[in-house]
Amino acid sequence: MKKVLALVSVLLLIIAVPAWAQKCTMGMVISTLNNPFFVTLKEGAESVAAKHDMKLIIYDAQDDSAKMTSSMEDLIQKKVDVILVNPTDADAVVPSIMKANKAKIPVLTIDRGASGGEVVCHIASDNVAGGKMAGEYLAESLGKKGKIVELVGIPGTSAARDRGKGFNEVIKEYKDIEIVASQTADFNRDKGLKVFENILQAQPEINGVFAHNDEMILGAIAAAEAAGRKGIIFVGFDAIDDAVNAVKDGRLAATVAQQPRVMGELAVEKGLAYFMGEKLPEFIPVPLKLVTQ
Amino acid sequence: MKGVHKYYPGVHALKGIGFSLEKGEVHALVGENGAGKSTLIKVLGGVVQPDEGSLEIAGKKASWKGPGDAISAGIGIIHQELSLASHLTVAQNIYLGKEGGRGLFVDLRSLEKKASLLLQDLGVELDPSSSVENLTTGEMQLVEIAKALSRKVMILAMDEPTSSLSSRETERLFRLIRDLKARGTGIIYISHRLEEVFKIADRISVLRDGEYIGSGPVAALSEEKVVTMMVGREVKTLFPRSDVKPGKMLLEVRGLSREGVLKDLSLFLREGEILGLFGLVGSGRSELARCIFGLDPFQKGEIVVNGKTMKIFSPASSMKKGIFLVPEDRKLQGLFLNLDVKTNISIVHVLRKIRGMLIRSSEEKKLADEYIGKLDIKCTGPDEEVRHLSGGNQQKVVLARALSVSPGVLILDEPTRGIDVGAKAEIHRLMDELSRQGMGILMISSELPEVLGMSDRIMVMKDGTFSASFAREEGNSERIMIAAAGA
Amino acid sequence: MDDLKRRLQKYGSLLILLGLLAILAIFYPGVLRFSNMMNVLAQYSLVGICAVGMTFVILTAGIDLSVGSVLAFSGACGAWFNTVLRMPWPLAWAGAIAVGMLFGFISGGLVQWGRVPPFMATLAVMAMARGATLILTRGYPISGTSTAFNYPGWASMGPVPVTGTILLSLMILAWIVLRRTIFGTYVYALGDNPETLRLAGINVGRTRIAVYVISGATAALAGLLMVGRLWSAQPNIGIGLELDVIASVVLGGTSLFGGMGGVGGTFVGVMIMGFLDNGLRLIEISSYLQQVIKGSVFVGTVILDMYLKGRYHYNRSRDQ
Repeated sequence: MKKVLALVSVLLLIIAVPAWAQKCTMGMVISTLNNPFFVTLKEGAESVAAKHDMKLIIYDAQDDSAKMTSSMEDLIQKKVDVILVNPTDADAVVPSIMKANKAKIPVLTIDRGASGGEVVCHIASDNVAGGKMAGEYLAESLGKKGKIVELVGIPGTSAARDRGKGFNEVIKEYKDIEIVASQTADFNRDKGLKVFENILQAQPEINGVFAHNDEMILGAIAAAEAAGRKGIIFVGFDAIDDAVNAVKDGRLAATVAQQPRVMGELAVEKGLAYFMGEKLPEFIPVPLKLVTQ
Repeated sequence: MKGVHKYYPGVHALKGIGFSLEKGEVHALVGENGAGKSTLIKVLGGVVQPDEGSLEIAGKKASWKGPGDAISAGIGIIHQELSLASHLTVAQNIYLGKEGGRGLFVDLRSLEKKASLLLQDLGVELDPSSSVENLTTGEMQLVEIAKALSRKVMILAMDEPTSSLSSRETERLFRLIRDLKARGTGIIYISHRLEEVFKIADRISVLRDGEYIGSGPVAALSEEKVVTMMVGREVKTLFPRSDVKPGKMLLEVRGLSREGVLKDLSLFLREGEILGLFGLVGSGRSELARCIFGLDPFQKGEIVVNGKTMKIFSPASSMKKGIFLVPEDRKLQGLFLNLDVKTNISIVHVLRKIRGMLIRSSEEKKLADEYIGKLDIKCTGPDEEVRHLSGGNQQKVVLARALSVSPGVLILDEPTRGIDVGAKAEIHRLMDELSRQGMGILMISSELPEVLGMSDRIMVMKDGTFSASFAREEGNSERIMIAAAGA
Repeated sequence: MDDLKRRLQKYGSLLILLGLLAILAIFYPGVLRFSNMMNVLAQYSLVGICAVGMTFVILTAGIDLSVGSVLAFSGACGAWFNTVLRMPWPLAWAGAIAVGMLFGFISGGLVQWGRVPPFMATLAVMAMARGATLILTRGYPISGTSTAFNYPGWASMGPVPVTGTILLSLMILAWIVLRRTIFGTYVYALGDNPETLRLAGINVGRTRIAVYVISGATAALAGLLMVGRLWSAQPNIGIGLELDVIASVVLGGTSLFGGMGGVGGTFVGVMIMGFLDNGLRLIEISSYLQQVIKGSVFVGTVILDMYLKGRYHYNRSRDQ
């Protein structure tokens, strides 16, 4: 019996060891490398690949869905073990994912999801957590009391839904904080300005504002400055260059930043884990970071 | 130049040619197209390198790596195709590439001053600041000469300088040549026009098929002798016009006027007639032809074909009525140089004769073969591209296209310009044959012998009107020239 | 020398293709796999379809810079007809192709009647069509086209992509039109010498406009197939496509000076562009460098074209 067991374990080792030692080749299609966000993402992915001594092939779709499709086809042609795709468009990527499914190559999506096809896992910033982060920061800055405004993104988009959800969950916990207005401004700076102008008219007292993105918050800041209203704490989302500058100037209190480097690292790590046989959840959130002065 | 050889793929273009030129001499180089005259000039000018042979300038051995070397050695060449930049002024063209000036900027005013001195010196009245595109071909030729002479020139070679000049302009050119000669410039003069050669040259050399045939002082040669040397055989009748009795009326033009160009022109053409239209460049000959063919609009007058007045004026409707034009410039207007012989011949024919959309290539080939045989077009076959053909054979291809639609009226604008004597005679024979079959031919020509030799009637144009008309027997060169030049 | 040139002109593009395949195969033998060939056919058949129309235009010494935008707009129109107006796919396709032809007609009309140089006319149409695309889609992709609508664009019959079959049939059709019809002869003649064609009593305008309409139609067809390939009409699709298309045609031996070349060469040219794109990815050259290499190939091709053919146009007389 012992002998048999030993034999089996040796056999297992023989079979299993090469399997574990076998190198994983991963393919990655990035929507564009003309944008610093995605270049950082790519660098994160590369650093992890180098650490694990695995092969990572990166293609740039140059913001062109046709190029993305061709790149996916070429990765399938190269018979990579895992495909990580940051789609140029949620619809346009679907036929390519189906081709990969047919070739039995697992696909993970990064940052932007796909509207169809079998995707192992979606890796993106955790907007709910980001919303919570913003809410907590705003509440603490206000000394846990005051009147606040929420500027909502385009209704129905996942970003607006998730950021709003996280924010509201936190604010509910603070009994002395009241949301006096919650209006949509479509992620747009100009709309943010106009909507907030109206809110300023209607509300004599406003202590804080949270907007689902930086464009809207920058519009709101402009409206407040024009109306001469001071002492309002503004919190935005995305950490775009204008917003980071506004934080430095002190006009914006904080903005929530995505972490593209972490996103890239996580994507490759999870892809490798799946290749090794680990089960993955449908969605893996990438933590966010608060940018303050 | 001694024993110059030049090989092109499949062609031995120059077979050991020797050639000499003395100071202050006008040496004419004659020969049929393809005889090697232009190639020889290109060797002299450094445009092509000889495969064998040597070149001596003023007793010293010379060899050029490119045209630049030849130019700095004092050789000026005026090629057959004018090479002026049409949007620049006369002065800019003359001094192109040697503007001087300071730094990047061109001192236009001093250029123009220099140019006007040069032009004055040459006895040419031209405004150096006028744009070249506004000049006549003759004037452009003079600019080319001035351009060549703006450098220090010992030897000036001219390739067919008079091919597009009117007689008045030719005269002016000749005065200039005599002047240059007197100053000691050696001149190489290439031309088809033997009468000119005899007028201007001191010595004549004849080339044929890349070989040197012979040379001699003008006094010792006659036109017949030179022609015989050129073609290598006796040319009996250059103008084989037979007597044809004119039939019914084919074409009548009544009171045709085109603003600024043509004034109240009337003419008629009957079956079997060849009507010669003579005029100097700019007299409106080609413009008249273009109006009749429906290419250019006109304000007054009517055109009657076969008794019916034309209503729509376009090349297509003229063709339908049986008029066809063979244009003046075969390379610019007549041919698809990069297409093959069969397409060039059949392109109009297919429009009319073959039903449906598809071309049957066998029929196209048959048509081409037919005309290649009929007109004796020398080519490797219907699939050869037209650009490889000699001038005479190219002209025959254009004629074949015209004949393929069997027109009643054929307008030939300069049918034999720039083609060799042999092909010329063949085209003249063909014209005669066509008219005997009943075709009416309107022939525009600036070559007097051709007009005199081929026409049944001659009409002379001057400044957009008819200045005279002659029956065949009445016409002679003096009367026609007087009517055309209006002395 | 001239003989060598003529042969280079004829088989040069084939040599370039074979050379390219050889070089790529050294770095990555998988390039030559049958499945990869089909892969390239799928990836570049849309460029190829546009290149068929472009061949007609370039043969007349014209150029059509609007193909990428017309592709985008026609595709978006087709998708819009199918999803918003609920037209059945054959009707939506026909409508979209008509739209492409209309834009071609505008280009051709500007060139023929407006005497606008083809480069400028089609540049204007390029901007118009792109703008129209953004207006129609409001900047968002249109998805939800029916399966039948998408089928030709992404499906394959066995290993062969349907788009590849369409490209090959179109090539054969174009070959027949160019070589065996009166219209085709006029296309070559127009590129060679428009004045001669006019003097021969032929309606030059009709031929000139027709080639742009053909180019518009092929761009529209490619646009519809692109919708199928991506299951959606993307507003920014086809930007810069004209470069690939023109490069394919010129690489295939059709002269930018007009009158010389043909659709057979264009197929080879498309395959060169396709294998270059696919091969550079397969041998994992950085995407930045890829663009430099492609640009160089394009410039090299144009210089080669001028060297091989331009001479005849500038120095037409070879006799005497």
